[in-house]
Amino acid sequence: MITKILTGKWSAYLSGTIIAFFFVLTLYILDSPTGMSDAYIMISDYCKASIHAREVKELPFLDWQTGFLGGIFIGALIAAIFGGDWKIRMIPESSGKGVIASAGITVITGLAGGFLVMLGLQVAGDSFLGQWAGAIQLSTTSWVFFISLLLWGIVFTAIIAAKVAKSNIVDDGKNEKKEK
Amino acid sequence: MHPLALDGNWRLVAGILLGIVFGFLLVKSKVAWRKTLIDQLFLKNTYFIKMFLVSVSVGSILFFFCAKWGLVNPQFRAVYFWGAAIGGLLTAIGLALCGQIPSSTVASLASGRLYAIWVLAGMLLAIPVVHVVSDGLAKTLSKWPVPFQEETLQDLFSSPQICFWIAGISIIAALFLEFIRTNSEESESK
Repeated sequence: MITKILTGKWSAYLSGTIIAFFFVLTLYILDSPTGMSDAYIMISDYCKASIHAREVKELPFLDWQTGFLGGIFIGALIAAIFGGDWKIRMIPESSGKGVIASAGITVITGLAGGFLVMLGLQVAGDSFLGQWAGAIQLSTTSWVFFISLLLWGIVFTAIIAAKVAKSNIVDDGKNEKKEK
Repeated sequence: MHPLALDGNWRLVAGILLGIVFGFLLVKSKVAWRKTLIDQLFLKNTYFIKMFLVSVSVGSILFFFCAKWGLVNPQFRAVYFWGAAIGGLLTAIGLALCGQIPSSTVASLASGRLYAIWVLAGMLLAIPVVHVVSDGLAKTLSKWPVPFQEETLQDLFSSPQICFWIAGISIIAALFLEFIRTNSEESESK
């Protein structure tokens, strides 16, 4: 049973139920919502100060949010090893182009995407998990955030998909001409 | 009854343990993988939205009773309406590009997906920018008219029992998505 839980895949229903209990348990234990927005801010400020000083003087302050971030790393590592999901990958699995093109795209989309995700979360005022925990507590702005996220996410993904499809058609056309 | 509200070193220990549980959960629920969120936005796989709806359905009722018994206090950051709406828009563009949220980025890195380092770098770069623009942005957004000012859905609908409606609608929506399983989900379950 335990082996099955450790190595098997979890259904959306099981994961959703565990997440719900997890958020409420966090509220009970810490009397604070789940999140690590402050940890990211602290790490960013620490990196900025180290770059300015051009030296790493002392380790950053460890609070529960920073511990939570470290805990995620450990927990994910354990789950990936036990589940056979641990793989070294430099580019995403779904990348269809050549190695160099994929590496370039990975860097650009990673930097730009990560930047926009964090910018959006900071403008929205909380981390993704904080918003999720807020939605469970029926916070109106958390629901506004998630509805906006889902609607715009689908719109922008459709735009990206259309662009990719168009460029593939152009590439196929060029290849056909070359073959002729 | 009241929340445990640990402090000092116990709070740190609890943070690490909760993080370990959540990191494990992120990998097991597949949210750690870039593909899960990208496929969700492409509407190829509805795993994430089903998980979200189930968590809201179970969590809202659980929170309602725990709050009633005094075990938990409502804890969320009150955000301005337009901040949440524009924040959702920016996060959506970012997600469409990189398919990662802050917690899944850390879990991806731990699972050997080294490409997540670029996402993490992008996230850390965004914070100083927010420091610079936040004052101007807050002043601009606060001038825009808002459709409502209530902080919770209970206040908005003037009904403390709204959580039961939300839970019911969420679980029906999750089951509906289960019935219209996509080809990608069918092949994955096989």
